[in-house]
Amino acid sequence: MSIEENHFSDKVIVTNILNGNIQDFAFVVKNTEKLVAQIVGKLTTNEDDRKDLVQDIYLKVYQNLYSFQFKSKLSTWVANIAYNTTINYLQKKKIPIIEIAETIEDKYKLSENPELITIKTEAVGILNDELAKLPPLYKTLITLYHLEELPNKEISEITNLPEGTIKSYLYRARKILKDNINHHYKNEQL
Amino acid sequence: MKSTHLTDEMLQAFLLKEIANDSIDKHLTECSVCRAKLESYQYLIGSMQKITPETFSFDVTTIVMNNISLYEKKKSKKQELTFWGILIFLLIAISSFSIPFIPNILEVFYLKSIIPTQLLLGTGVVVLLFLWIDIIQQYKKKEKKIFNNNLQPIL
Ligand SMILES: [Zn+2]
Repeated sequence: MSIEENHFSDKVIVTNILNGNIQDFAFVVKNTEKLVAQIVGKLTTNEDDRKDLVQDIYLKVYQNLYSFQFKSKLSTWVANIAYNTTINYLQKKKIPIIEIAETIEDKYKLSENPELITIKTEAVGILNDELAKLPPLYKTLITLYHLEELPNKEISEITNLPEGTIKSYLYRARKILKDNINHHYKNEQL
Repeated sequence: MKSTHLTDEMLQAFLLKEIANDSIDKHLTECSVCRAKLESYQYLIGSMQKITPETFSFDVTTIVMNNISLYEKKKSKKQELTFWGILIFLLIAISSFSIPFIPNILEVFYLKSIIPTQLLLGTGVVVLLFLWIDIIQQYKKKEKKIFNNNLQPIL
């Protein structure tokens, strides 16, 4: 679907809801829940909190729908609300979103040479495990960029972070992932 | 030049085609250390598309729609309460302001003969009736509009 078509269907759905067809809000939920799941799911792991957050997020979307300006995709706008709501909740709970607990690199001083070329595609399980250990924000950015394949500009609209910051967080996150996965294999080989 | 290896950032940017640079190309052909690192990143970035997507363990649409209809019910109840509150307040305010004028108004009916009184009452009743019918008509029109809107085909 092209951007214009996307914007058109966004407009139709939003106009219908604002005209009183509350049922049409289900379309908004269906169209965005996958993206919202990536954001909320990567930022918080607690199941009950996720449920509360999702309700909170979509109620905010519903209440503020009239103020949506169609300057971005509706999904990006919803994702931004999802991100902000979850971040606020994490801040209230004093859960750090970016602090990196000690990385493997710092712990073991990995030898740079030679790099082990062992990150095989079948090792997705290990990748998932290592990804889960990353700070919430890194996890989210990696997922939005590599899984949802969103351009940096859109990720920037969702997270309110400058594109440069997103880029450098992504570099850092990938480096940690690569080092930790390499370390994982090194341990296995010993 | 093997003395300065490529940074991790450069390698990633190179893989993601964020930068294109002949000197990077050249270094990679000469340096096996950086090439190995590049390959690690290549595998990582390649497998990243296979990350298991997050899913909710509950039906999002059902939960959200229930929550929103609850919110709407609360909102309309609140609006109704506000409406009645304002109406009652206005009624009390107007009647308390009009108390001093009541004797004057009654005087009109006592002094004049029966015909002007009837005329006055008759006009009042006609005007009230007219307003009443108008309100009902408008209500029906709006109700129909809302009804039609709900039956609109979903796009
Ligand atoms: Zn090198």
